[in-house]
Amino acid sequence: MHAFSAKPNPGAGIDYELFLDCVHCGLCTASCPTYVVTGNENDSPRGRIYLMRSVTDGRLPLNNQVREHLELCLDCRACETACPSGVQYGKLIEPFRIAMDQAHDGDRAPHDWFHKYVLFGLFPHPKRLRWALLPAKLAQRFGILRGMEKLGLMRMLPQRLRQLVYTLPEKLPSEPALPEFLPAIGRRRARVALFTGCVNDVMFRHTNWATARVLQQNGCDVIVPRDQACCGAIHFHAGASDPARRLVDANVKSFAEVDRVIVNVAGCGAMLKDIGHHWHDDAAADRTALAAKTRDINEFLDELGLIQPEGEINLTATYHDACHLGHAQKIREQPRKLLATIPGLKLVDLPETELCCGAAGTYNLTQPEMSAILSRRKLDNILSTGARAVLTANAGCLLQIAREARVRREPLWIAHPIDLLDLSYRKEKPPV
Amino acid sequence: MIASRFPSLLAELRRLLGDDHLLANHSEMVVYECDGFTIEKNCPDVVCFPRHTADVQRIVQLCNEYDVPYLPRGAGTSLAGGCLPVGGGVLIVFTRMKAIEEINLRDRYAVVQPGVVNVWLTNALKGTGFHYAPDPSSQGACTIGGNVATNSGGPHTLKYGVTVNHVLGVEAVLTDGSVVRFGGPAEDYVGPDLVGLLVGSEGTLAVVTKVWVRLTRDPQAYRTMLGIFDSVDAATQAISEIIGQGIVPAALEMMDQGILIALEQAFQFGFPLDAQAILLIELDGLEAGLDEQRDRVVALCQAAGAREVRRADDPKERLKLWKCRKQAFGAIGRLSPSYCTQDGVVPRTKLPHIFRRITEIGETYGVRIVNVFHAGDGNIHPIVLFDERVPSQVKAALDASGEILEECIACGGSVTGEHGIGVEKIPFMAKLFTPGDLDVMARVRDAFNADGRLSPGKLLPTAAGCGAEHKPHGAAVPTVERSHPGRRAAL
Amino acid sequence: MIAAPPKTLPLSEIYTPATQADLAETVRAAYAARTPIYPLGGGTALSYGLAAKMPGWGLSTASLNKVVDYPARDLTITVEAGITIAELQKVLAAEGQHLPVDVAQPDVATLGGAIAVNMSGPRRYGHGTLRDYVIGITAVDGRGQEFHAGGRVVKNVAGYDFCKLLVGSLGTLAVVTQLTLKVKPVPMSAAWLAVDTTTFEQAEITLAAVAASRTTPTAVEFLAGSGWNGEADDIGGELSESAGRVLIGFEGTAAETGWITSKLQEELSGPQRMRVFAEGAASAALLARLTSFGCEASSAASPLVLKCNVRPSRLMELVAEVRKLFPSAGLLAHAANGILLVRFDGTSTIHDIAKSLLGVLQPLASKCGGQCVVWNSPAPEDLTRAVCWGPARESDVALRRVKQTFDPHGILNPGRFIY
Ligand SMILES: Cc1cc2nc3c(=O)[nH]c(=O)nc-3n(C[C@H](O)[C@H](O)[C@H](O)COP(=O)(O)OP(=O)(O)OC[C@H]3O[C@@H](n4cnc5c(N)ncnc54)[C@H](O)[C@@H]3O)c2cc1C
Ligand code: SF4
Ligand code: SF4
Repeated sequence: MHAFSAKPNPGAGIDYELFLDCVHCGLCTASCPTYVVTGNENDSPRGRIYLMRSVTDGRLPLNNQVREHLELCLDCRACETACPSGVQYGKLIEPFRIAMDQAHDGDRAPHDWFHKYVLFGLFPHPKRLRWALLPAKLAQRFGILRGMEKLGLMRMLPQRLRQLVYTLPEKLPSEPALPEFLPAIGRRRARVALFTGCVNDVMFRHTNWATARVLQQNGCDVIVPRDQACCGAIHFHAGASDPARRLVDANVKSFAEVDRVIVNVAGCGAMLKDIGHHWHDDAAADRTALAAKTRDINEFLDELGLIQPEGEINLTATYHDACHLGHAQKIREQPRKLLATIPGLKLVDLPETELCCGAAGTYNLTQPEMSAILSRRKLDNILSTGARAVLTANAGCLLQIAREARVRREPLWIAHPIDLLDLSYRKEKPPV
Repeated sequence: MIASRFPSLLAELRRLLGDDHLLANHSEMVVYECDGFTIEKNCPDVVCFPRHTADVQRIVQLCNEYDVPYLPRGAGTSLAGGCLPVGGGVLIVFTRMKAIEEINLRDRYAVVQPGVVNVWLTNALKGTGFHYAPDPSSQGACTIGGNVATNSGGPHTLKYGVTVNHVLGVEAVLTDGSVVRFGGPAEDYVGPDLVGLLVGSEGTLAVVTKVWVRLTRDPQAYRTMLGIFDSVDAATQAISEIIGQGIVPAALEMMDQGILIALEQAFQFGFPLDAQAILLIELDGLEAGLDEQRDRVVALCQAAGAREVRRADDPKERLKLWKCRKQAFGAIGRLSPSYCTQDGVVPRTKLPHIFRRITEIGETYGVRIVNVFHAGDGNIHPIVLFDERVPSQVKAALDASGEILEECIACGGSVTGEHGIGVEKIPFMAKLFTPGDLDVMARVRDAFNADGRLSPGKLLPTAAGCGAEHKPHGAAVPTVERSHPGRRAAL
Repeated sequence: MIAAPPKTLPLSEIYTPATQADLAETVRAAYAARTPIYPLGGGTALSYGLAAKMPGWGLSTASLNKVVDYPARDLTITVEAGITIAELQKVLAAEGQHLPVDVAQPDVATLGGAIAVNMSGPRRYGHGTLRDYVIGITAVDGRGQEFHAGGRVVKNVAGYDFCKLLVGSLGTLAVVTQLTLKVKPVPMSAAWLAVDTTTFEQAEITLAAVAASRTTPTAVEFLAGSGWNGEADDIGGELSESAGRVLIGFEGTAAETGWITSKLQEELSGPQRMRVFAEGAASAALLARLTSFGCEASSAASPLVLKCNVRPSRLMELVAEVRKLFPSAGLLAHAANGILLVRFDGTSTIHDIAKSLLGVLQPLASKCGGQCVVWNSPAPEDLTRAVCWGPARESDVALRRVKQTFDPHGILNPGRFIY
């Protein structure tokens, strides 16, 4: 049926009705970060749906132009928020890109060295990642990275690796791993498991600790299963469906015993909530069950009813809606409500808060140019508010904004909302 | 015909714009074959993204040199096929001319490039105490250039007026390739109001490259209400009473039960689903006068038979209500596999009548019709539901729509209040206007667009009045591919 | 009925067609004979524009004065173009409605004439101008072809908007025969606040504050120079020739005007003298007095009046210059709209001021974003195109093309505008 090649059509596996949901009204276009930047309809949600559908219909070949426009998509789902027709864009682009990679016509290696060694080899494995980052840690400690930067040596690294190094936080955390169990403080209100994530547990272990403490403060027994795995999002979004499924199924097992799984990384949360739809096999029901009990930390605390924190924090801060929280999980009010309980905190609105910061999972590594444009725009917006701190509930965004601020030497404090709540419970002050 | 001249035109355009600001590859131009109106499609031959007026000017000059049609495009949200490249040619897309060049609060104007999205200007004005009044439901995506071309309205244009009432001046590239400013930052330039002519000309007279828009002071306060009615007739009576009593709300919108059910599914606002119709009424102005006005409105609604008049004064609730209203079209996808919507206008006192007729017409043709109206303006948007996979239903839907529009004309109204004629409603022009009227319009178009290269096949019937042929001679014979886009396409 | 016999026009004949069809017939005859046509409304603005040199026919709309349709509850009215403004307002007033546009000499001025010259007055700040009210139009072009545009509904985007185009077209594109207007309910109360200013800087500070006010004025006027005293009470007290006065008009319910009164005084608080006056009926009298400033025929001859339009923030710059150049002239500005009228006493002629006009005022007005034209001249034959209409504009070429379209033989008001 494919008019241009014998290879399977990447749209073949997609429920065609999902394409038909789009009435071509264009209301989504201006909320799409890539379209806002390029102004090219091909880089808009409506355009991408049209492209995918044209390929599926056999009107267009899957050539490099089409690929590039689809690859430039951040999968941020801002379009789903904007679309009044309820178009499920994620359910179109994700399977299409996976199929696109599988159907690749040999004009590009599907999983190049970067994907193979760095993305798939390191990221999903906290231990390996820790080891791999050890030289970087040492280098940081001795100021070698900054020195290299000054000498221009960084430019000798392959571009994407350079991106990765730049994205590393200033200081890699040195907290110990979380114990397997942390008891509720005060009356016990719930028993929950904490999902610690792969990158997160390496780079933001302090946030995992903060999350656990805040949960304890709110009367939760916190279980941290040792055998939990990466959520699989990196693989899945990069088109590696099988490895993703294996990781997901490992988690189904790890979290079988609890009835709430708390996630503090929006990207992981969105993935876990979505896993019910991705594979249609015997285990689908179990995955759906895991999805159903997954809660973002902000969402969970809001549902539970937050115990008022008391420590005063006199700070002007702004909140950035992480795409995977705002657009994918529709969680926007809850973090703002939680933050509003902190005595002394002044929360100011961030212009274009719904626009992606350019991190988008590994997007900053795979599409560095677009990513840089978006992170510059994000920081400009942040600076325009006059806030001294930015709060956002996703590891990728935290790294991205921090990097941008560092490069531009802006003294901003970038943290997870839970970090701030934790400080307030502990009556401590933020470092600004 | 274009094909032979095309390679050298393309080379010149490339030299002008570079590869970054031009698309010439078929697979990247397919997305430009239609806009929000998807019944007719045709691919342009090249898509240009000018960066500034000088680019536009040069593009127009090149199109003249090579005798190739061209047309402007903003965000492509037109519902009338305004961006359809009839006969192919060069599509000039304004999405990269998106600078807000100046905001002058003292003199109450802003200067914007045509690609600025309507809501961006509003956002840029947040906190200044001023706003840009025209607020089409598509304002999150449509461009001010597109608004100027179609003279867009919106819910709040009832009180504040449509786009033309807020445009002080435009800079345009004329078809001879000259750049001309009409109007400007001051009021009352002497002579005929050419700005007023260009606004709403749907891109058939000139290509707009800059706009001076009037800024409006924010109202001090709002009173937002939901009038809940057990019959559509009572609701339309209430509208007619409110206007008849000389109250001009900022907005006065009506939604019937069908649309409420769809909106409730989409947004869970808490609409009473057993109500037959709801009026969304917003008053704005000085705090000092609003309660008095609200009481009058409530009394009028009750006298007309409202079951209840609910307040929605909480700012969050108000925003949510407006979001529901503005996204009403989109939510229809939840009711029916396909729909088509019309944009007729009737005198406001004829609203009860047109409503009864719409119901009758729906029954006659056996199609379900739901309604969401800019009621205060008499601007109706009947939405005909059908299943495009059943040919008899498609026909019934089209026939019913046509009959509704005929009825609007019979009531002394119009076939389009805001979406424009485009390619879609050309057949109705001869019903609205006499051959003499059309002849004058065609002559005016020719005065600006003598060769007919700018946006051929739009707005006017090709053979207009007095037997005069107004077929663009320069342009290639319009060819249009007809194929059906999606099962829910707005026809 | 024509107010003054149009001495200024070289008319061989005056036709007063009884119907719109007759009017079209007359234009067709003129088109065939290539005879110029000078459309006549109330004759109140015939001294606007260059002198008519080519002999031709006067075409009066005096008999076209019917109300065609007034569905009051739709807030629209359809009337013939020859209806006087006063008559129109009387019909509307019976239903508690009005057309909130100020036109001088309303007893004689016709709606068609007001449209042709785009008449406006103080209330343009709050209510806009005629272009915001015309929703349907019927007219006869220079070939005698009758045409319509718009319709009878308040929202309509079908076809080209000739309703707007013909506003301000000075009778050079078509003879307007019938109009459909949007109208508004009459407000319940009105009042004015007078703020006296001693320097131009102070006036600008006041005007800027009004522009940013939370209140909603319908008129913001600035008065200075001669000609304001005599009926001093009308304008908020004696106005010395060295000072200026900002007059702010507002309307609404009693509660609203009450709130505006106190809020405005709070916002403008400063050293200036302020008082509220002209409440109720006196407000209408003041409006009429301000409206007639540019047009009122003094006993001898109609005065020489200039009209400038600039960005409102630059108005005082222009005012300062005018005061320096012509200390004895009277000034009225629709200040928030950036429109300034300069009226000379009976003895000044265009020759006295032409040099300053060409050398100073026109360039300054254009620097301030607008133009300076001669609005009323007792001796049109002395005017040159440059003096009357100022320097050529970019849009003139397009305008000429439009003129050619509507009036291919150039028979409508020939030579009086830029063509
Ligand atoms: C869901 C939905 C709701 C809508 N609601 C409303 C509404 O409430 N009110 C309303 O009025 N409309 C509404 N519309 C119609 C549409 O959004 C408006 O007509 C809008 O102004 C089009 O803007 P655009 O930037 O998308 O223009 P486009 O669709 O790109 O173009 C529209 C027309 O303008 C011309 N044009 C564009 N730019 C220029 C330029 N720079 N110079 C000259 N001509 C130009 C094009 O050639 C075309 O003819 C709605 C549409 C949708 C899909
Ligand atoms: S997911 Fe984000 S980048 Fe992709 S089309 Fe939607 S809005 Fe655009
Ligand atoms: S995805 Fe939704 S918003 Fe975008 S064009 Fe399609 S229907 Fe419209």
